[in-house]
Parts: sequence; C-alpha cells; structure tokens
Amino acid sequence: MTKPRAYVVAFCTVMLASCLLMAQQNLPPNTQGVTPPPGSPPATPARMTFFVTSVGIGKGGDLGGLAGADAHCHALAAAVGAAGHTWHAYLSTQARPGQPAVNARDRIGTGPWFNYSFAQLGAPQNAIISANLGELHGDTLVQAQRGSNLFKQSARNEHGEVIHGIGDTPPIQHEILTGSKWDGRAYTDNADHTCNNWTSSTTGSAQVGHSDRIGNGSSWNSSNASKGCSQAALESTGGAGLFYCFAID
Amino acid sequence: MTKIKSSALVLFCTVSLASCLLLGQVQRPGEYPRGEKPSPMMNFFVTSEPVGDGGNLGGLAGADAHCQTLARAVGAGNHTWHAYLSTQARPGQPAVNARDRIGKGPWYNFKGEMIAQDLAHLHGDTMELAHQGNNLNKLTGLTEKGQIVPGLYDYSDPRDNDWDYAKTTRFSTRHEMLTGSQTDGTAFTDGLDHTCDNWTSNKSPAPGTSNGDLNAADGRPNAQIGFPDRNGGGNGSWNSAHGTRGCAQADLPKTHGQGLFYCFAID
Repeated sequence: MTKPRAYVVAFCTVMLASCLLMAQQNLPPNTQGVTPPPGSPPATPARMTFFVTSVGIGKGGDLGGLAGADAHCHALAAAVGAAGHTWHAYLSTQARPGQPAVNARDRIGTGPWFNYSFAQLGAPQNAIISANLGELHGDTLVQAQRGSNLFKQSARNEHGEVIHGIGDTPPIQHEILTGSKWDGRAYTDNADHTCNNWTSSTTGSAQVGHSDRIGNGSSWNSSNASKGCSQAALESTGGAGLFYCFAID
Repeated sequence: MTKIKSSALVLFCTVSLASCLLLGQVQRPGEYPRGEKPSPMMNFFVTSEPVGDGGNLGGLAGADAHCQTLARAVGAGNHTWHAYLSTQARPGQPAVNARDRIGKGPWYNFKGEMIAQDLAHLHGDTMELAHQGNNLNKLTGLTEKGQIVPGLYDYSDPRDNDWDYAKTTRFSTRHEMLTGSQTDGTAFTDGLDHTCDNWTSNKSPAPGTSNGDLNAADGRPNAQIGFPDRNGGGNGSWNSAHGTRGCAQADLPKTHGQGLFYCFAID
C-alpha cells in the first residue's frame, strides 16, 4: 500500500516542480497598469475631466436618455470627489420628427481633457486625453492617422482603473456605447444606432467604440454595432453598457 | 485510512497541477509562447532585439540584414525582408519612403493574424481608413519569436530607462519602434533629423540641447518612432508618434525604446 503512494507523491512533486519552473521565466510583477510607480503624488480627482464609467446603468442600452446618462456620469464622479464639474456622457441621439439629432462631439466642451490616472502619475505629457475636439476625433487626415491620446492605458474609469479589454481576464468590457460615427456625430440613416436614443433595453442596436482600441480596427468611438440592446446582448460581445464621460467645464 | 489519504493526495495533486498549468497559459509581454512556431504566413514582425548601436543600423541595408537574420533564425528566411524605415533626402540622394519598401500586403504576424490588407489600410490613406485603423495592436504586434512587446506599465520598473539594466532582461518596456517616417509612411522633408542621420548615427545630443523635448530640432540627433501597442506618447500612432532623446543606444530607453523596428516581407 505504501509503494503506490510513494509513486504518487514522487510523480506529483516532479510534475508540480517542473510546471512551476516553466511558469517562472524570471518574470517581474505585472502591474496591469493599475498601480502607480512608487513615489507618485497622491490622487487628484479634481483635475480629472474624463473617465470611462466603472459600471453601466445595468439596463443595457436604456440609459434613461441623455439626461439619465449624464446623471450617471455625475453620480460616479461625485462618488470620487469630482462633483465640481458639469459631466456629460459622450453619446449621440438620432433625429426624430420634431426633434433634431444630437452629436456626441457637441456635448463635451472644447477640452483639453485629462484622465484620473495620469494626473495622479504626474506625467503632464501623458496626462491629456486630447487637447481639443479635432485631435480627439481626427478631423484632419494626419490627426486621424495619428490618433488621440485616448488608448487603453489612458482610458481609465473614475477610480483610475484600466478597462479590461482583449487579452485581459474576463469579463471584458471594452465595448463603449457612443451611438456615433467616427467624427463624433449622429447617424443620419434610418437604422437604429442608439438603442432608440438610449431608451431601449430590448430591440435595436448601439454603435460602440473600443476603449483599448482593439477590435475591427482601432477606433475608440465607432468600431461596430452591438448585437442588441439588452444588458445580456451587450455583455455577449465584450461590453457592459459603459460609456465615456467628459467634463464640459 | 491510507486509502482516504491517497485519494486526497491525488486530488490535491491534480488540482494544483491543473491550476499551475492554467496559470502558465497566460502569455505575458516579453515571454516566449510555449511550443509555438511562427505561422507559415508570417510576413510581418517586430524585431525581438535591437541592432544594438542606437540609431546606427548600418543604413537601410544593415536594418534589412537584421530583419533577414532574425527571420532566418526562426525558419522564415525564405522571404525577402525589409525594415520599415524611411531615409531623408540628401544632396544627390533622394528620400526613401518606408511605405515604398514593404511590398503590397496583406501582412500577417507570428500567429497568422492579419495586420493590414494593403498599404492604404496600414497607413489609413483615406479619412475612412484612418478612422477605422489597421489591425496592429498590442496583441498582434508580435516579434518573430511570438513575443508581445512590453509596453506602457506592463512592468513599471524605473530601471527600464537604463540600457545597462534593460539589455539584461526581456521584461522591460520597449515599445518605441524606429520608423523615421510621417504618419503616411513617407520621409520627413523639413530638413531636421528624424532618421538618426539616415540610420548611421549613434550620437547623443550636445549637453543642454535636449531639454526633454521629443520633437525634432535643428542639429539634434533624433529618430521618429511609433508604438505597436498604440499606447503612449500623446497619440498612440503606430508609426509616427514622436522623436527620441538622441541616437545613442543608451538614449533610446530614456523614452521606453530600444531601437527595435518593424520588418515586412516584400514577397
């Protein structure tokens, strides 16, 4: 009876040791971009004028319209001490009879916008998400080719955390609701790109961008259409009903 | 009693082995993929190592030879490899545009994933294409050995800025690719140095002339760089984000580069 046990112990030890050795490769700790370097100045959320919502509203594409989305931005900002700004969600709505379209780009002030984390890290050259609307949206060809400073490591939530994107541990939440075209304006065709102007949690579709700029190209604000407007539909393709919030002042 | 202990032992063994194997799955930046060989389709990669003399690559010919050598070492020497680098015009010597040196595409990485369909897709030649972007990103911008290039905050080690340290490890930030190019893949025409003197200079700027600025300036050795992970430098451009602190090998890590560059097969 002791012999087989000894074999098991030996086998187990050898396998485990070799597996651990293989996994080693002298890797230094991976910080996932969340931890600021030692000696960084303390967080200054008051300087933050841009964030990705850490959570969605939870009802898919039904955000309670633009007003509901703006209120969500404000509530999340207030929770981290950044209520001293007027916050707007980066969302477009499509034209309806007697109701003109609203372009996301027209709702967010004129910039420059700063995120939480880089303000915290004290790196002025990177602190900025974008200097102005033209750079943010790539209004000229060179601006569009180059891209703005909104990328995975800068597009953080109001707690300064990176949004999990392709290659990260699930759940992946990089599909950010915008309802907008690349230029930040509302769609003008008859199809639904805004979950019925952010009131539908069932049928319809919303245009999304990728906060990590990975997936169907590298657009932050307009890469593909969601499968539907329910929370489950958003989650099925790597979303969570998150959206971008900008301070307009 | 012995029986129970044995089965508990086996259970413990299985669970810990399984979790260890699972943990080992995640390929972290700089790490080699286990047991994987380059896709036969690979005709694009990021160099896994620099030439080692800063911006002096031995000109375009030296850079191309570096691509070829690295490719050959992983069994991909059956292509003609060119470095994605521009050179600037000199008296009696026209400029060379990086985009004119790399064939027509489509280009695929180590895993056989498509980076770009053609030159227009790679560079975003139209407003629509530029906004859409190509498929080069942190997870596709792989070296010829299949490594993800360590980028912003992957390891957050201050020593990453020090070549003496950085050259001793695969796990330090090194995401600045030499290109010497504008966003459209063409050479600069402004008369300032964006190519470390057409990839022959390993000089540092004269003391006091650098002041931390990453834009090209009169008389300052400099190379334009881009980010395969699209993260950093104020815009995240893959081929034209900003300049360097100089052309010496030790200057490049100061802004998280090492003198790596993109290689494309033209056939």
